Amino acid sequence: MSKIESYFHTDWAALTSQDWVGLLLTVAVFIAMAITFFYALRPKNAKTLEEQRMLPLRDDE
Amino acid sequence: MDTVVKPQYNDGVVKAFTLAAIIFLVLGTFMGTYAASELAWPFLNFDTAEITFGRLRVIHTNTVIYAFGGNVLMATAFYIVQRTNGRPLYSNTLAWIQFVAFQVGLLLAVISLALGMSEAKEYHELEWPLDIAVALVWILFTFNFTMTIAERDKEKVPHIYVANWFFFGLLIMVTYLWVLNGLAVPVSLFRSYSMFSGVQDAMIQWWWGHNAVGFFLTAGFLAIMYYFVPKQAQRPIYSYRLSVVHFWALMFGYVWLGAHHLQYTALPDWVGSLGAMISLAMIIPSWGGALNGMLTLSGAWDRLRTDYILRFLIMSLAFYAMSTFEGPVMSAKTVNALSHYTDWTVGHVHAGALGWVAMVSIGAVYHMTMKLWKTEMYSMSLINFHFWLATIGTVFYIVGMWVSGIMQGLMWRAYDEYGTLAYTFAESVAAMHPYYVMRATGGVLFTTGAAIMLYNMLMTIRMANARQTNLAHA
Repeated sequence: MSKIESYFHTDWAALTSQDWVGLLLTVAVFIAMAITFFYALRPKNAKTLEEQRMLPLRDDE
Repeated sequence: MDTVVKPQYNDGVVKAFTLAAIIFLVLGTFMGTYAASELAWPFLNFDTAEITFGRLRVIHTNTVIYAFGGNVLMATAFYIVQRTNGRPLYSNTLAWIQFVAFQVGLLLAVISLALGMSEAKEYHELEWPLDIAVALVWILFTFNFTMTIAERDKEKVPHIYVANWFFFGLLIMVTYLWVLNGLAVPVSLFRSYSMFSGVQDAMIQWWWGHNAVGFFLTAGFLAIMYYFVPKQAQRPIYSYRLSVVHFWALMFGYVWLGAHHLQYTALPDWVGSLGAMISLAMIIPSWGGALNGMLTLSGAWDRLRTDYILRFLIMSLAFYAMSTFEGPVMSAKTVNALSHYTDWTVGHVHAGALGWVAMVSIGAVYHMTMKLWKTEMYSMSLINFHFWLATIGTVFYIVGMWVSGIMQGLMWRAYDEYGTLAYTFAESVAAMHPYYVMRATGGVLFTTGAAIMLYNMLMTIRMANARQTNLAHA
């Protein structure tokens, strides 16, 4: 039986420079995504964003 | 007196891409149906190497994905970017160069694949010279699309509509993925070997493979959905905020999924688990997007009774929701142990390809045809007929593959009381025959619908041209 802590065990010393670049990029992109979600779902920004819904309806007719 | 000057859009090239797309839809689905028929009745290959299943299948996938899908994406991207930014294309000449280069490339692709020239990478079979040519055409497309947005009047159009964001995601990610997966060492003009080997090669291949689905066949077609569903329904998208969340969740999530194609292989176990976990998490944004499209019709569902084009668009969203649920379930290891290497996977791919990609494209193309040629469709009844052929054809296909796939999985893993396999592989092949016939029937229905669409479009164009000529003479 594998223990949950052994499943998540990480040998930090074994990480290569590519591993670190990948790890940091992933975390950075994840934070950027969280910020975007926060911005999009914040009630204060609802009006500004929802106004854009109409854009395709007034483009060529 | 105020006068509003309407921008003159470059619609000639959009018309060309649109028509090419539907011609390739007919050819691609015909080749797929023929290849499916070869599995049911193997004599159909007539012992001719160029049309054996192994080669015809690859020609089919390349034709429907790149020739049909690619032309649809180029047509709709150029149609949408002009209208949502209120200006013509940055360069009409570049767009025409792209059109000609792309069609010539597609022709060379079919010839080279029929002759057996292949890198043997799923959805990336073209040999290195054509690989590079595709990348160059794609960069041309990206440049023209990006510059059209960059040069818009930012006072008049300060915001970039979400459909363009999805196209950006498609353009950037497909360039990156295509080039990286295509890295190879050429040994002659028509032969090369992948720069990667072993499990790394497999991982890179499926990192590309699933993102061909995620970015080429999903993000680009979601751009189509976010523009054409509101246009056809004449109602704004249900929630713009949800579309923003949908976009970023897809961009972040899809790149992780490739590993779920390699469960129970030499790939480290945790990588497959991670792929499956994020696949399951992706149900949330995918369903959010599907609901966003469907709820656009809130309060106007009755329009589905009379608007056959809207039916295609909304049915495509139902298939999108279904296949984005089915895929993650199949990626979970327990289910994958049964489903992998069986026809269930083929059925799943076609639920997405026929039900989602083709149907949303068909809806968009019907809409564009009327706008581009400034006329009504030649026959609305034929669109209704096409809708039912496409829907029933897709259902025949995927139900046949569900049954055959699950049967295959169960037969392959069945043991008798002595612990030996209960069935030989040949027995499992023989058991599939009725379902292969069912699949071929689904293909015939779908292809017939595509041919009817081409006829309807050609008659519409003829009608529009005749009217133009009459007006000129009047």
